[in-house]
Amino acid sequence: MRLEKCWFCSSTIYPGHGMMYVRNDAKIFRFCRSKCHKNFKMKRNPRKVKWTKIYRKLHGKELPQDTTFELERKRNRPERYDRNVVEDTVKAMKKISETREEREAQTLANRMRGKKTQQRREDLAELQQGIHLVKAPTALLEEPSLTLPKEKMKVKVSVEQESKAMES
Amino acid sequence: MRPQTYSNVADNSGARESMRIRVPGASNRQYASIGDMIVAVVREAVPNMPPKGSEVVRAVIARTRKGLNRDNGMAIRFDDNAAVAIDREGNPKGTRVFGPVARESRECHFAKTVSSAPEVLR
Repeated sequence: MRLEKCWFCSSTIYPGHGMMYVRNDAKIFRFCRSKCHKNFKMKRNPRKVKWTKIYRKLHGKELPQDTTFELERKRNRPERYDRNVVEDTVKAMKKISETREEREAQTLANRMRGKKTQQRREDLAELQQGIHLVKAPTALLEEPSLTLPKEKMKVKVSVEQESKAMES
Repeated sequence: MRPQTYSNVADNSGARESMRIRVPGASNRQYASIGDMIVAVVREAVPNMPPKGSEVVRAVIARTRKGLNRDNGMAIRFDDNAAVAIDREGNPKGTRVFGPVARESRECHFAKTVSSAPEVLR
């Protein structure tokens, strides 16, 4: 029994799932579900379809090349059963998947770095532009306690609460 | 495959296309699948070769678009409908088989046909 990869989306195909299409040149395409199969029939290129793993790796959304993927390389030579080897493999699988998850989390963190400050800046800009939706301009002039937040982190609590209400 | 189904002939026996007539040995059997022997009439043939158009031959089905379902749950579909011309004993008429063949044909005593296939799908 072998766990295959879907040709289109690269997800694992477990036994009992999916479909195999054999072209007349004997090239085999495996699909995990009919969604992938239908996309294939539409002649879509998985490298351009945004939800596939290939696209994500190609466009730097996910860990593209790593030594942790070496364990899953397809091996065609059958191994003679050895209990120790099996034991070691099981342990290694666990450790390797842990390290891979760590590295993937790191890639995600790298990708998302600076997102928070950028988001904050965008929110402030939006607040300054749209404050008339929340409070009338004359009210701002009359009540000195209400001021728009400055560019720095010091923000009036009441205005911040309003911005949260506006954003949600 | 139902009666009147056209299928490509996947060997070099000289026929190009055949049309299924019947499944031998069953009076009213409708469907023939991969690995079944069928009786077919040659609809299109390579010129100057033994099977002429409208000659009745036996064939074993090698590929169908409908495909088959394996025991492990994997469904296999092929690109076309294709059959290999055989004689009454089950030996292939041609010398070469084109295209992949499903393993199921071997199980139905068509070992010789399957062994000359370029690719057998396990």
